Amino acid sequence: MSLLAFRRVAMRLAGAALLFVLPALGQSASAADPAQLVQSTAQQVIDIVKNKTGADRQTAILTVLQASFDMPAMGRSALGTNWNKATEEERTRFLKAVASAEARAYSERFGQYAGQTLTVSKVTPRANGVSIVESKLNQATGQPIKIDWEVRGDRITDVKVEGVSMVMTRRSDFNSYIQNHGGKVDALVQELEIRANR
Amino acid sequence: MAESLSGTMKRKARRSLVAMAVAATLMGGCATGDTGATEVWDPIETPNRFLFSLNRVVDIIALRPVAVIYRDWVPEPAQKSVRNLLDNLGEPVTAINEVFQGDPNRAATTMARFLVNSTIGVAGLFDVATMLGLERTKEDAGKTIGLYAGVEPENGGFYLMLPLLGPSNARDGTGLMIDYLADPFRILTFNLAVDWTAYQAARYGMNVVDYRSRTIFALDDLEKNSVDYYAALRSAYTQNRADMIRQRREKTDTKGELERRDNLALVR
Repeated sequence: MSLLAFRRVAMRLAGAALLFVLPALGQSASAADPAQLVQSTAQQVIDIVKNKTGADRQTAILTVLQASFDMPAMGRSALGTNWNKATEEERTRFLKAVASAEARAYSERFGQYAGQTLTVSKVTPRANGVSIVESKLNQATGQPIKIDWEVRGDRITDVKVEGVSMVMTRRSDFNSYIQNHGGKVDALVQELEIRANR
Repeated sequence: MAESLSGTMKRKARRSLVAMAVAATLMGGCATGDTGATEVWDPIETPNRFLFSLNRVVDIIALRPVAVIYRDWVPEPAQKSVRNLLDNLGEPVTAINEVFQGDPNRAATTMARFLVNSTIGVAGLFDVATMLGLERTKEDAGKTIGLYAGVEPENGGFYLMLPLLGPSNARDGTGLMIDYLADPFRILTFNLAVDWTAYQAARYGMNVVDYRSRTIFALDDLEKNSVDYYAALRSAYTQNRADMIRQRREKTDTKGELERRDNLALVR
Protein backbone atom coordinates (compact mmCIF):
# COMPACT_ATOMS: atom_id res chain seq x y z
CA MET A 1 0.00 0.00 0.00
CA SER A 2 2.58 2.50 1.09
CA LEU A 3 4.91 1.13 -1.54
CA LEU A 4 2.26 1.79 -4.15
CA ALA A 5 1.77 5.31 -2.93
CA PHE A 6 5.49 5.85 -2.98
CA ARG A 7 5.65 4.57 -6.54
CA ARG A 8 2.94 6.97 -7.57
CA VAL A 9 4.77 9.87 -5.97
CA ALA A 10 7.99 8.79 -7.64
CA MET A 11 6.24 8.57 -11.00
CA ARG A 12 4.80 12.04 -10.56
CA LEU A 13 8.17 13.42 -9.61
CA ALA A 14 9.70 11.78 -12.65
CA GLY A 15 6.91 13.23 -14.78
CA ALA A 16 7.46 16.68 -13.33
CA ALA A 17 11.21 16.40 -13.83
CA LEU A 18 10.63 15.33 -17.42
CA LEU A 19 8.42 18.34 -17.96
CA PHE A 20 11.20 20.65 -16.90
CA VAL A 21 14.02 18.78 -18.57
CA LEU A 22 12.41 18.13 -21.96
CA PRO A 23 12.11 21.75 -23.12
CA ALA A 24 15.67 22.38 -22.00
CA LEU A 25 16.93 19.40 -23.99
CA GLY A 26 15.35 20.83 -27.11
CA GLN A 27 18.05 23.43 -27.44
CA SER A 28 21.64 24.05 -26.54
CA ALA A 29 22.59 23.48 -22.93
CA SER A 30 23.88 27.01 -22.40
CA ALA A 31 20.59 28.73 -23.28
CA ALA A 32 18.30 29.77 -20.47
CA ASP A 33 14.95 28.08 -19.97
CA PRO A 34 12.49 29.91 -22.28
CA ALA A 35 9.56 29.49 -19.90
CA GLN A 36 11.66 30.90 -17.09
CA LEU A 37 12.71 33.84 -19.24
CA VAL A 38 9.13 34.67 -20.19
CA GLN A 39 7.89 34.31 -16.64
CA SER A 40 10.59 36.50 -15.15
CA THR A 41 10.22 39.15 -17.87
CA ALA A 42 6.46 39.30 -17.32
CA GLN A 43 7.03 39.54 -13.58
CA GLN A 44 9.50 42.39 -14.04
CA VAL A 45 7.03 44.29 -16.22
CA ILE A 46 4.22 43.71 -13.72
CA ASP A 47 6.43 44.97 -10.88
CA ILE A 48 7.36 48.08 -12.86
CA VAL A 49 3.72 48.81 -13.67
CA LYS A 50 2.83 48.33 -10.01
CA ASN A 51 5.52 50.60 -8.58
CA LYS A 52 6.47 53.19 -11.17
CA THR A 53 4.68 55.81 -13.23
CA GLY A 54 5.46 58.29 -15.99
CA ALA A 55 9.02 58.72 -17.22
CA ASP A 56 10.39 56.41 -14.51
CA ARG A 57 8.24 53.62 -15.80
CA GLN A 58 9.28 54.21 -19.38
CA THR A 59 13.01 54.05 -18.63
CA ALA A 60 12.53 50.94 -16.47
CA ILE A 61 10.60 49.22 -19.24
CA LEU A 62 13.23 50.20 -21.79
CA THR A 63 15.83 48.51 -19.57
CA VAL A 64 13.76 45.32 -19.45
CA LEU A 65 13.19 45.45 -23.22
CA GLN A 66 16.89 45.74 -23.88
CA ALA A 67 17.78 43.03 -21.37
CA SER A 68 15.22 40.37 -22.30
CA PHE A 69 14.25 41.16 -25.88
CA ASP A 70 16.43 40.94 -28.94
CA MET A 71 15.57 44.48 -29.98
CA PRO A 72 18.05 44.75 -32.91
CA ALA A 73 16.74 41.53 -34.47
CA MET A 74 13.12 42.57 -33.93
CA GLY A 75 13.75 45.99 -35.40
CA ARG A 76 15.54 44.54 -38.35
CA SER A 77 12.75 42.05 -38.94
CA ALA A 78 10.13 44.79 -38.59
CA LEU A 79 11.83 46.78 -41.32
CA GLY A 80 11.72 43.74 -43.62
CA THR A 81 13.27 44.17 -47.04
CA ASN A 82 13.63 47.89 -46.42
CA TRP A 83 16.48 47.07 -44.04
CA ASN A 84 18.74 46.41 -47.03
CA LYS A 85 17.88 49.78 -48.53
CA ALA A 86 18.63 51.70 -45.34
CA THR A 87 22.00 53.29 -44.72
CA GLU A 88 24.05 52.41 -41.65
CA GLU A 89 23.13 55.70 -40.02
CA GLU A 90 19.42 55.20 -40.74
CA ARG A 91 19.59 51.73 -39.23
CA THR A 92 21.03 52.88 -35.92
CA ARG A 93 18.61 55.79 -35.73
CA PHE A 94 15.74 53.46 -36.61
CA LEU A 95 16.64 50.90 -33.94
CA LYS A 96 16.93 53.60 -31.29
CA ALA A 97 13.60 55.19 -32.24
CA VAL A 98 11.83 51.83 -32.34
CA ALA A 99 13.14 50.84 -28.91
CA SER A 100 11.91 54.04 -27.31
CA ALA A 101 8.59 53.81 -29.17
CA GLU A 102 8.07 50.28 -27.84
CA ALA A 103 9.03 51.31 -24.31
CA ARG A 104 6.57 54.15 -24.49
CA ALA A 105 3.84 51.90 -25.88
CA TYR A 106 4.33 49.35 -23.11
CA SER A 107 4.43 51.92 -20.34
CA GLU A 108 1.19 53.52 -21.55
CA ARG A 109 -0.51 50.25 -22.35
CA PHE A 110 -1.14 49.32 -18.75
CA GLY A 111 -2.43 52.48 -17.07
CA GLN A 112 -2.66 50.95 -13.65
CA TYR A 113 -1.97 47.48 -12.43
CA ALA A 114 -5.29 45.64 -12.31
CA GLY A 115 -4.30 42.28 -10.88
CA GLN A 116 -3.09 40.62 -14.09
CA THR A 117 -1.00 37.47 -13.82
CA LEU A 118 0.78 35.45 -16.47
CA THR A 119 0.68 31.67 -16.52
CA VAL A 120 2.97 29.79 -18.88
CA SER A 121 1.26 26.70 -20.24
CA LYS A 122 3.46 25.04 -22.84
CA VAL A 123 6.87 25.30 -24.44
CA THR A 124 7.36 23.98 -27.98
CA PRO A 125 10.95 23.87 -29.21
CA ARG A 126 11.33 24.29 -32.96
CA ALA A 127 14.07 22.79 -35.07
CA ASN A 128 15.61 26.17 -35.89
CA GLY A 129 16.49 26.89 -32.27
CA VAL A 130 13.38 28.94 -31.62
CA SER A 131 11.04 28.01 -28.81
CA ILE A 132 7.40 29.02 -28.69
CA VAL A 133 6.23 29.69 -25.15
CA GLU A 134 2.46 29.70 -24.84
CA SER A 135 0.93 31.64 -22.00
CA LYS A 136 -2.26 33.24 -20.76
CA LEU A 137 -2.61 36.67 -19.26
CA ASN A 138 -5.30 36.31 -16.61
CA GLN A 139 -7.31 39.43 -15.97
CA ALA A 140 -9.39 40.35 -12.95
CA THR A 141 -12.46 40.57 -15.17
CA GLY A 142 -13.17 38.95 -18.49
CA GLN A 143 -11.51 36.28 -20.55
CA PRO A 144 -7.79 35.55 -20.25
CA ILE A 145 -5.68 36.82 -23.15
CA LYS A 146 -3.64 34.35 -25.17
CA ILE A 147 0.00 35.42 -25.48
CA ASP A 148 2.64 33.41 -27.34
CA TRP A 149 6.32 34.29 -27.01
CA GLU A 150 9.02 33.45 -29.51
CA VAL A 151 12.33 32.85 -27.76
CA ARG A 152 15.67 32.46 -29.51
CA GLY A 153 18.60 31.65 -27.27
CA ASP A 154 18.23 33.76 -24.16
CA ARG A 155 16.23 36.55 -25.77
CA ILE A 156 12.57 37.06 -26.70
CA THR A 157 12.23 37.79 -30.41
CA ASP A 158 8.47 38.19 -30.84
CA VAL A 159 5.24 38.46 -28.88
CA LYS A 160 1.93 37.27 -30.29
CA VAL A 161 -1.22 38.53 -28.63
CA GLU A 162 -4.29 36.52 -29.71
CA GLY A 163 -2.32 35.42 -32.74
CA VAL A 164 -1.26 38.94 -33.68
CA SER A 165 2.50 39.14 -33.93
CA MET A 166 4.03 42.41 -32.82
CA VAL A 167 6.88 42.18 -35.32
CA MET A 168 4.66 41.24 -38.25
CA THR A 169 2.17 44.02 -37.53
CA ARG A 170 5.00 46.54 -37.28
CA ARG A 171 6.44 45.24 -40.54
CA SER A 172 3.20 45.84 -42.46
CA ASP A 173 2.81 49.16 -40.71
CA PHE A 174 6.34 50.38 -41.47
CA ASN A 175 6.41 48.95 -44.97
CA SER A 176 3.16 50.64 -45.90
CA TYR A 177 4.38 53.94 -44.47
CA ILE A 178 7.61 53.72 -46.44
CA GLN A 179 5.75 52.82 -49.65
CA ASN A 180 3.47 55.82 -49.21
CA HIS A 181 6.42 58.13 -48.64
CA GLY A 182 8.37 57.55 -51.80
CA GLY A 183 10.03 54.35 -50.59
CA LYS A 184 12.34 56.27 -48.29
CA VAL A 185 13.34 54.69 -44.99
CA ASP A 186 14.37 58.13 -43.81
CA ALA A 187 10.73 59.31 -43.77
CA LEU A 188 9.80 56.52 -41.38
CA VAL A 189 12.79 57.15 -39.14
CA GLN A 190 11.92 60.84 -38.92
CA GLU A 191 8.28 60.07 -38.11
CA LEU A 192 9.31 57.64 -35.36
CA GLU A 193 11.73 60.17 -33.89
CA ILE A 194 9.05 62.86 -33.86
CA ARG A 195 6.71 60.47 -32.09
CA ALA A 196 9.38 59.51 -29.56
CA ASN A 197 9.98 63.14 -28.62
CA ARG A 198 6.31 64.04 -28.35
CA MET B 1 -39.30 59.38 -42.52
CA ALA B 2 -37.23 57.03 -40.44
CA GLU B 3 -39.14 54.12 -41.93
CA SER B 4 -38.35 55.08 -45.51
CA LEU B 5 -34.77 55.87 -44.62
CA SER B 6 -34.22 52.46 -43.08
CA GLY B 7 -36.02 50.97 -46.09
CA THR B 8 -33.62 52.52 -48.56
CA MET B 9 -30.68 51.66 -46.38
CA LYS B 10 -31.82 48.07 -46.23
CA ARG B 11 -32.22 47.93 -49.98
CA LYS B 12 -28.82 49.48 -50.43
CA ALA B 13 -27.34 47.06 -47.95
CA ARG B 14 -28.88 44.15 -49.84
CA ARG B 15 -27.62 45.41 -53.15
CA SER B 16 -24.12 45.83 -51.81
CA LEU B 17 -24.28 42.38 -50.24
CA VAL B 18 -25.18 40.86 -53.59
CA ALA B 19 -22.42 42.81 -55.28
CA MET B 20 -20.03 41.58 -52.64
CA ALA B 21 -21.09 37.97 -53.17
CA VAL B 22 -20.49 38.24 -56.89
CA ALA B 23 -17.19 39.94 -56.32
CA ALA B 24 -16.17 37.33 -53.77
CA THR B 25 -16.92 34.43 -56.08
CA LEU B 26 -15.22 36.12 -59.02
CA MET B 27 -12.12 37.06 -57.10
CA GLY B 28 -12.05 33.95 -54.94
CA GLY B 29 -11.17 31.88 -57.99
CA CYS B 30 -7.93 33.71 -58.59
CA ALA B 31 -7.13 34.36 -54.97
CA THR B 32 -4.89 31.36 -54.46
CA GLY B 33 -1.18 31.96 -54.60
CA ASP B 34 -1.47 35.69 -54.97
CA THR B 35 -0.84 36.37 -51.33
CA GLY B 36 1.67 34.91 -48.98
CA ALA B 37 1.79 34.79 -45.21
CA THR B 38 3.90 37.93 -45.16
CA GLU B 39 1.90 40.71 -46.75
CA VAL B 40 -1.88 40.93 -47.02
CA TRP B 41 -3.25 40.97 -50.55
CA ASP B 42 -5.05 44.26 -50.98
CA PRO B 43 -5.77 44.97 -54.67
CA ILE B 44 -8.54 47.47 -53.90
CA GLU B 45 -6.54 49.43 -51.38
CA THR B 46 -7.69 52.86 -52.55
CA PRO B 47 -11.45 52.22 -52.12
CA ASN B 48 -10.67 50.32 -48.95
CA ARG B 49 -8.78 53.26 -47.51
CA PHE B 50 -11.61 55.56 -48.53
CA LEU B 51 -14.17 53.40 -46.72
CA PHE B 52 -11.81 53.12 -43.77
CA SER B 53 -11.67 56.88 -43.39
CA LEU B 54 -15.48 57.08 -43.63
CA ASN B 55 -15.77 54.35 -41.01
CA ARG B 56 -13.41 56.25 -38.76
CA VAL B 57 -15.47 59.41 -39.03
CA VAL B 58 -18.60 57.48 -38.03
CA ASP B 59 -16.62 55.75 -35.30
CA ILE B 60 -15.19 58.94 -33.83
CA ILE B 61 -18.41 60.96 -33.81
CA ALA B 62 -20.91 58.21 -33.00
CA LEU B 63 -19.86 54.64 -32.38
CA ARG B 64 -16.86 54.99 -30.10
CA PRO B 65 -18.50 57.51 -27.75
CA VAL B 66 -21.55 55.26 -27.42
CA ALA B 67 -19.30 52.27 -26.81
CA VAL B 68 -17.31 54.16 -24.16
CA ILE B 69 -20.49 55.21 -22.37
CA TYR B 70 -21.76 51.65 -22.60
CA ARG B 71 -18.53 50.24 -21.18
CA ASP B 72 -18.08 52.77 -18.39
CA TRP B 73 -21.60 53.67 -17.33
CA VAL B 74 -23.74 50.58 -17.80
CA PRO B 75 -23.36 48.31 -14.76
CA GLU B 76 -21.21 45.25 -15.26
CA PRO B 77 -24.02 42.66 -14.66
CA ALA B 78 -26.25 44.40 -17.21
CA GLN B 79 -23.45 44.31 -19.80
CA LYS B 80 -22.94 40.66 -19.05
CA SER B 81 -26.63 39.90 -19.51
CA VAL B 82 -26.69 41.74 -22.82
CA ARG B 83 -23.62 39.80 -23.90
CA ASN B 84 -25.25 36.52 -22.87
CA LEU B 85 -28.46 37.37 -24.69
CA LEU B 86 -26.63 38.22 -27.92
CA ASP B 87 -24.40 35.16 -27.63
CA ASN B 88 -27.44 32.98 -27.14
CA LEU B 89 -29.08 34.36 -30.26
CA GLY B 90 -25.88 33.58 -32.15
CA GLU B 91 -25.69 30.01 -30.90
CA PRO B 92 -27.71 28.37 -33.74
CA VAL B 93 -25.39 29.87 -36.37
CA THR B 94 -22.41 28.53 -34.46
CA ALA B 95 -24.03 25.09 -34.31
CA ILE B 96 -24.70 25.10 -38.07
CA ASN B 97 -21.08 26.01 -38.71
CA GLU B 98 -19.83 23.32 -36.37
CA VAL B 99 -21.84 20.74 -38.30
CA PHE B 100 -20.23 21.92 -41.52
CA GLN B 101 -16.83 21.93 -39.84
CA GLY B 102 -17.33 18.20 -39.27
CA ASP B 103 -17.74 18.50 -35.52
CA PRO B 104 -21.27 17.24 -34.72
CA ASN B 105 -20.39 16.67 -31.07
CA ARG B 106 -19.47 20.28 -30.63
CA ALA B 107 -22.63 21.30 -32.51
CA ALA B 108 -24.71 19.18 -30.14
CA THR B 109 -23.09 20.85 -27.13
CA THR B 110 -23.79 24.25 -28.64
CA MET B 111 -27.45 23.34 -29.21
CA ALA B 112 -27.65 21.97 -25.66
CA ARG B 113 -26.27 25.30 -24.46
CA PHE B 114 -28.87 27.10 -26.50
CA LEU B 115 -31.74 25.03 -25.10
CA VAL B 116 -30.54 25.32 -21.49
CA ASN B 117 -29.88 29.04 -21.68
CA SER B 118 -33.09 29.83 -23.53
CA THR B 119 -35.19 28.10 -20.85
CA ILE B 120 -33.45 27.97 -17.46
CA GLY B 121 -31.31 30.94 -18.40
CA VAL B 122 -34.38 33.14 -18.99
CA ALA B 123 -34.18 33.66 -22.76
CA GLY B 124 -30.41 33.67 -22.65
CA LEU B 125 -29.95 36.42 -20.07
CA PHE B 126 -27.97 34.07 -17.83
CA ASP B 127 -25.31 31.69 -19.02
CA VAL B 128 -26.40 28.67 -16.98
CA ALA B 129 -24.88 26.26 -19.49
CA THR B 130 -21.32 27.32 -18.72
CA MET B 131 -21.97 26.68 -15.03
CA LEU B 132 -23.14 23.21 -16.03
CA GLY B 133 -19.87 22.65 -17.84
CA LEU B 134 -21.06 23.23 -21.40
CA GLU B 135 -18.36 25.53 -22.71
CA ARG B 136 -19.12 28.24 -25.23
CA THR B 137 -17.60 28.22 -28.68
CA LYS B 138 -18.03 30.80 -31.39
CA GLU B 139 -17.82 29.80 -35.02
CA ASP B 140 -18.65 31.61 -38.21
CA ALA B 141 -18.80 30.70 -41.88
CA GLY B 142 -15.57 32.59 -42.57
CA LYS B 143 -13.79 30.14 -40.30
CA THR B 144 -15.64 27.21 -41.90
CA ILE B 145 -14.46 28.28 -45.35
CA GLY B 146 -10.97 28.84 -44.00
CA LEU B 147 -10.93 25.37 -42.52
CA TYR B 148 -11.47 23.73 -45.92
CA ALA B 149 -9.71 26.19 -48.19
CA GLY B 150 -6.45 24.52 -49.09
CA VAL B 151 -4.40 27.64 -48.46
CA GLU B 152 -2.63 29.22 -45.53
CA PRO B 153 -5.26 30.81 -43.30
CA GLU B 154 -3.49 34.16 -43.75
CA ASN B 155 -4.77 34.02 -47.31
CA GLY B 156 -8.43 34.98 -47.11
CA GLY B 157 -8.65 36.38 -50.60
CA PHE B 158 -8.49 40.10 -51.14
CA TYR B 159 -8.71 42.42 -48.16
CA LEU B 160 -12.01 44.22 -47.86
CA MET B 161 -13.06 47.17 -45.74
CA LEU B 162 -16.77 46.84 -45.09
CA PRO B 163 -18.85 49.94 -44.49
CA LEU B 164 -19.62 50.22 -40.75
CA LEU B 165 -18.49 46.64 -40.05
CA GLY B 166 -14.79 47.30 -40.51
CA PRO B 167 -11.97 45.04 -41.66
CA SER B 168 -12.77 41.85 -43.54
CA ASN B 169 -11.69 39.93 -46.63
CA ALA B 170 -13.27 37.91 -49.42
CA ARG B 171 -13.46 34.82 -47.20
CA ASP B 172 -14.86 36.48 -44.10
CA GLY B 173 -17.15 38.80 -46.05
CA THR B 174 -18.68 35.80 -47.80
CA GLY B 175 -18.88 34.05 -44.44
CA LEU B 176 -20.68 37.00 -42.92
CA MET B 177 -23.25 36.87 -45.67
CA ILE B 178 -23.75 33.11 -45.35
CA ASP B 179 -24.21 33.46 -41.60
CA TYR B 180 -26.69 36.25 -42.13
CA LEU B 181 -28.69 34.18 -44.61
CA ALA B 182 -28.50 30.97 -42.56
CA ASP B 183 -29.48 32.59 -39.26
CA PRO B 184 -32.62 30.75 -38.06
CA PHE B 185 -33.74 33.78 -36.08
CA ARG B 186 -33.73 35.95 -39.14
CA ILE B 187 -35.69 33.31 -41.11
CA LEU B 188 -38.07 32.60 -38.23
CA THR B 189 -39.02 36.21 -37.51
CA PHE B 190 -39.46 36.74 -41.22
CA ASN B 191 -41.88 33.83 -41.52
CA LEU B 192 -43.81 34.70 -38.39
CA ALA B 193 -44.23 38.25 -39.68
CA VAL B 194 -42.88 39.71 -36.45
CA ASP B 195 -41.81 43.36 -36.71
CA TRP B 196 -38.62 42.34 -38.40
CA THR B 197 -36.86 45.64 -38.85
CA ALA B 198 -37.03 46.76 -35.24
CA TYR B 199 -35.88 43.39 -33.96
CA GLN B 200 -33.02 43.11 -36.42
CA ALA B 201 -31.91 46.70 -35.88
CA ALA B 202 -31.91 46.29 -32.09
CA ARG B 203 -29.98 43.05 -32.25
CA TYR B 204 -27.35 44.13 -34.74
CA GLY B 205 -27.10 47.54 -33.12
CA MET B 206 -26.45 46.01 -29.70
CA ASN B 207 -23.99 43.58 -31.21
CA VAL B 208 -22.03 46.42 -32.77
CA VAL B 209 -21.99 48.50 -29.59
CA ASP B 210 -21.03 45.52 -27.45
CA TYR B 211 -18.30 44.43 -29.86
CA ARG B 212 -16.95 47.95 -30.16
CA SER B 213 -16.89 48.38 -26.38
CA ARG B 214 -14.75 45.29 -26.06
CA THR B 215 -12.31 46.40 -28.74
CA ILE B 216 -11.79 49.98 -27.55
CA PHE B 217 -8.61 49.14 -25.71
CA ALA B 218 -6.98 47.09 -28.46
CA LEU B 219 -7.91 49.45 -31.29
CA ASP B 220 -6.87 52.60 -29.41
CA ASP B 221 -3.56 50.94 -28.68
CA LEU B 222 -3.06 49.92 -32.30
CA GLU B 223 -3.94 53.37 -33.56
CA LYS B 224 -1.65 55.15 -31.12
CA ASN B 225 1.33 52.91 -31.78
CA SER B 226 1.24 52.68 -35.55
CA VAL B 227 2.48 55.04 -38.23
CA ASP B 228 -0.07 53.71 -40.74
CA TYR B 229 -3.18 52.66 -38.81
CA TYR B 230 -4.87 51.20 -41.90
CA ALA B 231 -1.93 48.89 -42.66
CA ALA B 232 -1.47 47.91 -39.01
CA LEU B 233 -5.14 47.02 -38.65
CA ARG B 234 -5.09 45.10 -41.93
CA SER B 235 -2.19 43.01 -40.68
CA ALA B 236 -3.59 42.53 -37.17
CA TYR B 237 -7.02 41.50 -38.46
CA THR B 238 -5.56 39.00 -40.92
CA GLN B 239 -3.27 37.46 -38.31
CA ASN B 240 -6.02 37.22 -35.71
CA ARG B 241 -8.42 35.47 -38.08
CA ALA B 242 -5.66 33.18 -39.32
CA ASP B 243 -4.87 32.22 -35.75
CA MET B 244 -8.51 31.29 -35.09
CA ILE B 245 -8.66 29.15 -38.23
CA ARG B 246 -5.35 27.52 -37.40
CA GLN B 247 -6.70 26.58 -33.99
CA ARG B 248 -9.70 24.95 -35.66
CA ARG B 249 -7.44 23.10 -38.08
CA GLU B 250 -5.26 21.81 -35.29
CA LYS B 251 -8.29 20.67 -33.35
CA THR B 252 -9.55 18.55 -36.23
CA ASP B 253 -6.05 17.25 -36.83
CA THR B 254 -5.84 14.06 -34.75
CA LYS B 255 -2.09 14.13 -34.37
CA GLY B 256 -2.26 17.60 -32.88
CA GLU B 257 -5.08 16.48 -30.62
CA LEU B 258 -3.07 13.49 -29.36
CA GLU B 259 -0.09 15.74 -28.76
CA ARG B 260 -2.27 18.07 -26.74
CA ARG B 261 -3.52 15.17 -24.62
CA ASP B 262 0.02 13.95 -24.07
CA ASN B 263 0.96 17.34 -22.76
CA LEU B 264 -2.05 17.39 -20.51
CA ALA B 265 -1.08 13.97 -19.18
CA LEU B 266 2.39 15.24 -18.40
CA VAL B 267 1.03 18.21 -16.51
CA ARG B 268 -1.15 15.95 -14.38
